[in-house]
Amino acid sequence: MAAVEVPIEKWTGKVHEVTLGGNGRKSVVVGGESTLPFLHFEGSLPRRPVIAIEVRDSEPKDWSPHLVDAWGDVLADPAAWAKKAMEYGADIIALSLRSAHPEEGNTGADEARKNVDKVLSAVDIPLIIYGPGVAEKDNEVLVAASDVAKGQRVALGNCEEKNHRTIAATCIADGHVAIGKTPIEINLAKQLNILLCDVGLSRDSILMDPTTGALGYGLEYTYSVMERLRLAALGGDAMTAMPMICTAGEESWRQKEAKFAEGMPEAWGDHLERALTWEEITAFSLFAAGADIMVVRHPGTVERMKAVIDRLMSESA
Amino acid sequence: MIAIGECLQIISTRVRTAIEGRDKGFVQDLVKRQVDKGANMLDLNIGPQKKAGPAVMEWLVNTVQEVVDVPLSLDTTNPEAIKAGLKICKQKPMINSTNADPERMGVLFPLAASHDCNIIALTLRATGLPVTAETRVEILSEDLLPVIEEHGVPLENVYLDPLVLTVNGCQEHSPEVIKAVRIFRQLTDPPFHTTCGLSNISSGAPPEVRPILNRIYLVMLMGAGLDSAILDPFDDQIMEALRIIENRDDSTAKGKVYLALYDAYAADEEFDPGIIDTSNPEHSDILKTIRVLEGKTLYAHGYLRL
Repeated sequence: MAAVEVPIEKWTGKVHEVTLGGNGRKSVVVGGESTLPFLHFEGSLPRRPVIAIEVRDSEPKDWSPHLVDAWGDVLADPAAWAKKAMEYGADIIALSLRSAHPEEGNTGADEARKNVDKVLSAVDIPLIIYGPGVAEKDNEVLVAASDVAKGQRVALGNCEEKNHRTIAATCIADGHVAIGKTPIEINLAKQLNILLCDVGLSRDSILMDPTTGALGYGLEYTYSVMERLRLAALGGDAMTAMPMICTAGEESWRQKEAKFAEGMPEAWGDHLERALTWEEITAFSLFAAGADIMVVRHPGTVERMKAVIDRLMSESA
Repeated sequence: MIAIGECLQIISTRVRTAIEGRDKGFVQDLVKRQVDKGANMLDLNIGPQKKAGPAVMEWLVNTVQEVVDVPLSLDTTNPEAIKAGLKICKQKPMINSTNADPERMGVLFPLAASHDCNIIALTLRATGLPVTAETRVEILSEDLLPVIEEHGVPLENVYLDPLVLTVNGCQEHSPEVIKAVRIFRQLTDPPFHTTCGLSNISSGAPPEVRPILNRIYLVMLMGAGLDSAILDPFDDQIMEALRIIENRDDSTAKGKVYLALYDAYAADEEFDPGIIDTSNPEHSDILKTIRVLEGKTLYAHGYLRL
């Protein structure tokens, strides 16, 4: 049999390394890749992709019964929830300040300070802190959260074009990382990085969220955008070389294939298995596209993802 | 090089109002100024004009011909309006345009043949956008050419348009369009004429980067063989680039860069950035723009700031 020569691409660029945590807290470093995901034979993959578990500051009202079963009582207590998430293997806690949403409590800066402080005290792993996704409220609670977490190097999101100055300024002031989110479009993703650097945020303080669609709901668009962003980064484009973060949990659990526990066609099989598979395949596809951090919801997904990552990150894979 | 003035277009509110109100003064001023700036053909874009097409085109052609004597490009999807215009044009007009849609070709190529006028043929099917140069060539050979020949349109009357798309979102097309122009020019002897809607390249880009994208792309396309373009003659820097290339004016540093870029594309060689003086912001902007248009750097609105 003829010997097969594996083609090796010589990349000139590499993904920026971004550190979360530290200063007494455990730290997590992401990025640093000098090749495409899991291609150990071609370049260096110094950091494992990591998993963040989503924790909310208030009990979620519309979550799938599968998630409610898995988490139980801790859903009402963000500190207990975060601790349990850590036990399940989370590398990072993604705390969502959802209660600040105008339709879900409309809480303000004080509540944000209190909850961020609680979760910071409950766990010693790094935090990502999300606002409720409404620009005005995001600015209010994220600036407060930033202040409470000063020195703990958390990631603050989402930072979009319209509020990038506020988020960047608070990240610079308190030593945090901004999560720049753009709507599944490669040029806009690069542009937001340019804008963030323009206002003085350093390259190692930015994560990109290219916006995720779940399996069956536009995943392939995100996949393609992420792949092209990473190829540009490896080709030497520093403004696309930020590590990428995706919210596979939020996206897959809003779809009917994952969300409901009953009333679906019998041919769909076991509801829980289907739901977990939906989150798992969404998450894994995005890791394969270059994601460095995956935010998920179900503890079962964490276990499954960790097993896959263990195998793919061993050099003999 | 034929510079086809693009400014009389229905998308402009002022033009629309002038056409609706039959405002001769406005139209005549607009076309005279385009010709003064160097346009040697004028595009008359009246939109679909489903009802009043022939009357509008007739009025417009007559109004324009009272003050300028350049050829006109009749730009509408209404074939009846085109027919009305063809009848009264004093100079050999251009039909703008057909694509590879059989129905449209079946109407417009016979018109082009019977009036012995020029016609813009887009290498575009109704089924989707062609990305590669090869697909554009395939559309030409499989879809357009058989109908062109069937109706006896002389090839020298056909202006192939590979369809320029914006670098902001369709960046992969930018180098392919250049390549398509090059292949179009190599297919026949004498070569096909080629044209394009140049400003499309920067559609959706912010005003501070649109002009440089337009003019650098023009120089690259001219190098590949483009011999006409629908463009904005009021953009002095585009017209300057045109003059520099046509007169081979290397008296300025910028002229030398434009000519080097043109020559590289004419020879189908890689542009050598050695000629770029990187301490000169104007030069480094040109280089950044070339890299974006060649698809070597990912486009972002702020690409010049990097």
